[in-house]
Amino acid sequence: MISFFIKRLLLLIPVFLAVSMVIFMIVHLVPGDPIDNLVQINSTPEQKAALAAKYGLDKPLYQQYAIWLGKALSGDLGDAIILRRPVVDLIALNLPHSLALGALALAFSTVVGIGAGALAAIYKDSLIDRTTMTLILLGSTVPGFWLGLLLIMLFAVQLGWFPVSGARSWDALVLPVLTVGLGGVALVARVTRVAMMETARKDFVMMLHAKGVPPWQIELRHVLRHALLPVVTILSLRIGWILGGAVTVEFVFARPGLGSLLITSLNQRDYPVVQGSLLMLAIAVMLGTLLGDVVQAAMDPRVRERIK
Amino acid sequence: MAALDPIRKAIRSPRGAGSAAVLVLVVACAVFAPLLAPYAYDIQNLPGANTEPGWAHWMGTDEFGRDLFSRIVYGARTSLTVAISAISISVAAGLTLGAMAGYFGGPFDRAVTAVVDLTWSFPEILIALILIAIIGPGLESTMVAISIAYLAQFTRLTRAQIMALKNETYVEATANLGAGHFHIIFRHLLPNALTPVIVAGMLATGDAIILEATLGFFGLGAQPPTPSWGAMMSSGTAQIFIAPWIIIFPGLAIALTVIAINLFGDALIEALDIRNRLRSS
Amino acid sequence: MRFTTKSLILSGSLLASAMAFGPGAAVWAQEATFVMPSDDVGAPSYDPIRGTKLNAATSLIYDRMVIQDADQSFHGQLATEWESSDDGLEWTFKLRPGVTFHDGEPFNAATIVWWVPQFAGTENAFMTDAIESVEVVDGLTVKFVMKNPDPNLLSNMSSIFMGIPSPKAYDAMGADYGVTNAVGSGPFTLQSFTIGQETVLASNEAYAWASDLSENQGPPHIKTLTLREISEASTAFLELRTGGVDMLLSVPTDFLPQLEAEDSIAVGTLPGTGIFYIPINTTVAPFTDIKVREAAALAVNQKEILDNLFGGIGAEANNFLISSLLAADVDPKLNISYNPDRSNKLLDDAGWAMGSDGVREKDGTKLQVALWTQNGTEFKRVTEVVQAQLKAVGIGADITVFDSATINDQYRKGNEHQLAVRSYSWANADIIDWFFAGSRLGYPNVSMWNDPKAEELNKVAMTGSRTWEERVANFKAYHEYVLGQFVFAPIYQPVQSYAYSKDNITLPKTVRGTRVQSQTIVDITVN
Repeated sequence: MISFFIKRLLLLIPVFLAVSMVIFMIVHLVPGDPIDNLVQINSTPEQKAALAAKYGLDKPLYQQYAIWLGKALSGDLGDAIILRRPVVDLIALNLPHSLALGALALAFSTVVGIGAGALAAIYKDSLIDRTTMTLILLGSTVPGFWLGLLLIMLFAVQLGWFPVSGARSWDALVLPVLTVGLGGVALVARVTRVAMMETARKDFVMMLHAKGVPPWQIELRHVLRHALLPVVTILSLRIGWILGGAVTVEFVFARPGLGSLLITSLNQRDYPVVQGSLLMLAIAVMLGTLLGDVVQAAMDPRVRERIK
Repeated sequence: MAALDPIRKAIRSPRGAGSAAVLVLVVACAVFAPLLAPYAYDIQNLPGANTEPGWAHWMGTDEFGRDLFSRIVYGARTSLTVAISAISISVAAGLTLGAMAGYFGGPFDRAVTAVVDLTWSFPEILIALILIAIIGPGLESTMVAISIAYLAQFTRLTRAQIMALKNETYVEATANLGAGHFHIIFRHLLPNALTPVIVAGMLATGDAIILEATLGFFGLGAQPPTPSWGAMMSSGTAQIFIAPWIIIFPGLAIALTVIAINLFGDALIEALDIRNRLRSS
Repeated sequence: MRFTTKSLILSGSLLASAMAFGPGAAVWAQEATFVMPSDDVGAPSYDPIRGTKLNAATSLIYDRMVIQDADQSFHGQLATEWESSDDGLEWTFKLRPGVTFHDGEPFNAATIVWWVPQFAGTENAFMTDAIESVEVVDGLTVKFVMKNPDPNLLSNMSSIFMGIPSPKAYDAMGADYGVTNAVGSGPFTLQSFTIGQETVLASNEAYAWASDLSENQGPPHIKTLTLREISEASTAFLELRTGGVDMLLSVPTDFLPQLEAEDSIAVGTLPGTGIFYIPINTTVAPFTDIKVREAAALAVNQKEILDNLFGGIGAEANNFLISSLLAADVDPKLNISYNPDRSNKLLDDAGWAMGSDGVREKDGTKLQVALWTQNGTEFKRVTEVVQAQLKAVGIGADITVFDSATINDQYRKGNEHQLAVRSYSWANADIIDWFFAGSRLGYPNVSMWNDPKAEELNKVAMTGSRTWEERVANFKAYHEYVLGQFVFAPIYQPVQSYAYSKDNITLPKTVRGTRVQSQTIVDITVN
């Protein structure tokens, strides 16, 4: 198991190098110059050149890349040009908010999704199945910003239960979590429903029925448990979504987060922040994939064999 | 017409029939917009701005006094054009890339898989926003951005289909008869892998409509006065209390269209019995 | 190295205090929450010397030598009196006694001697460029020795970038100054600063040196003031409506009708500090022809935009400067206002004949031009109406919406843009130099205008004036010449609007100052 883990980790090194290069290049393909956003009305070309030199923007690209990667590996993502503080600090400021929103929304989607999916699978092809699945579909078929605004109008403006925006207290998380979470319910519910229907056809389930085990016990204790593996796999692969996918919702609710940091910095052409947060997301994604592989391997010896 | 059989089968269920009817309506709006819309989408009437829904304007007017219903009808054209062309490009590229990776294997496959897995894990909205920052705003760049954002999904799916088909006896037999790689890929493998990818593409069209609307909300995408459901909602936020219809109706149009696409896609999957093949990626 | 350790400790304690103010903070009597103007969102520091973007809390942390009222008159804050020698080469300032910084350091002539040279080599150096040296006359009197007369000195001194920090704190914190902490002598002290989210301020209980623009001469009535950063205007509006915040320091004009419909919300306005206008690229056909430029400028119906998009709030713009500036008072014949008949005639004369689709043509070429704008509902709205107005005289325009970082880069290419909708905010006539000087083609000279006569007038206006009156006359001459060349089309002069909850806070009867700043905020009481 450990050798499997190390082997998978080593396989990630070339991927990481390629990804870091792509991230570095992407940022330099974007038209626009951060120095222009920095200078004051009335500044001279000499002042601009001095600033470019200060941030190393006057060096050839490959040199800039080597310097950046070298520092990044030692945990230094450089200083933000516009935001004037270490990129690591900015990420540390935003990451907890992304994690809180992402993890709670994920928990919401998973619990509601599995519940609804199980309900639909147990009452397969009945009215309950159809209604549940269609209702759930609603949440994922409207844009997040629109759903967010409607929830604000209903729960914050009309009923006054939750704050409109911000990240100053726990109750400010409720509406954003609902907005993001409702969007993810459909995916989880679908995967659960299908997985349960398939498991229900397997031999061991037939046997349990033959043994006279009560149907509800079979469904909950055996079928649902087996059906969870595909759900876990899908979720571990989408860790990037948890950290960066809520950008529109963050925008509507005026919340900090990694997605907003990335997009704001992109608009200001604050290269070090864009590179740093993209790299951060990429690393999270790679670790998520690794985690998914490990979980799969732990459950299924055939996967381990294949990698060897 | 054997190709139409699954569709016939799909619309036999009430859900399939209902969603198909909605889709026909939306497509009709897009194609016959000039005939269906009671007003031009770009004629302003500033004194008549923010008029409530009524007989003359049965979805009301927007902040420039333009008829909202006409703009929603024309907006179907923008949404569908962008979503369908973006996904078509994406499906075509994904089929080619996925087939080559799956068929040839080796370092090429590993490289493609690594890149695809990584982008697949990134939220499409972030990919699209970054790409538009590079190539600039506008309808065409929105299409390109959306198609690249979804490329990973179709590449993965195609590759998985090809991997499953590659070892089947008839392919080996054809190869033994001396057929070239491209002959095998395009004449034997792809046609058999096509159905699940196309159905997945249809489902992704719904997501692409939402993505286009979200980009429109950020002010990217269709340039004014061309109506786009997302941009209409974005400008409606400033009137959310005095003219809520500006933001509500485009949102409903999106929800209705995307739900219909999803339900019809589901019906089609059941009719074709390809659920397993769709998940094999 | 010592500074690094120190700043780490400082940022640690700031973090701790930020958390203390976070969830479940005790409801303080005299506590208020304001929303900063959306332009201020993301301001990275409270360093007035090196910063290029400062937010609304800066005027509360720092005092300036002089501040301005809404009528542009100057009032002493840290200076009590000032005078200039007849040749404009010496300025003497008497300083207010008894002022201390938040860290207990005294404010006196030595502070000013330290402060002025700090600007050298920074982006803000131009503000103090004309000052040769600062001399101490006595403990509370300083003399500026000028390199050349600068009639604009007081205007510069009243800028937000002229907030005076505590020399001791500034030197001790080095590059981290303003990022992790900020020490001034203003009515509020900085408690915590979370970039992009919020700044928490506490009343400076020692404060006893408000200017004569404030009724309250003691510490502010608000004891804890939170200033939130919210970029989406509709979110800020909903926060105010639900009582989540007490005041919006700035409201986009398009939200005013909604706010005025609310009983519990009061809306106020201050004179604006800028205009919306359309720069015309004079180097790209068809706008190389002055007739076509004039026709495009006269096609803009300023009144229609004012009445319908902005509900009549603000004013039409007919030249390049806000009307409170004396150099805006040009010969009325040169002002640019809507005249569709003349616009059509000019286009006919220039050979552009009306086509069947409503767009003019000449030699098989359509009069179809690019109209650029940037993100933001106000910009997009004005641009869509301008597009329709141009169409009315037969000019077809294709809109492209850019984000604000990309658009300046696109202008620099020089030959891709034709018309654009832009706005500026700058309450001084030298903005004409910034946008039309031949040395800055592309951006900021989006009009790409380089004309020998204009350059000559520019030089006289920028460096050839000894007194304020001379400067006004010189800028007026420059302004008039620019107007006659139709290198831009004026559209609209916005006002600054603010909105607050009448139930929660009370504002002084008159809001003083060029915007809602310390002079007003010390007078605000919590109900």
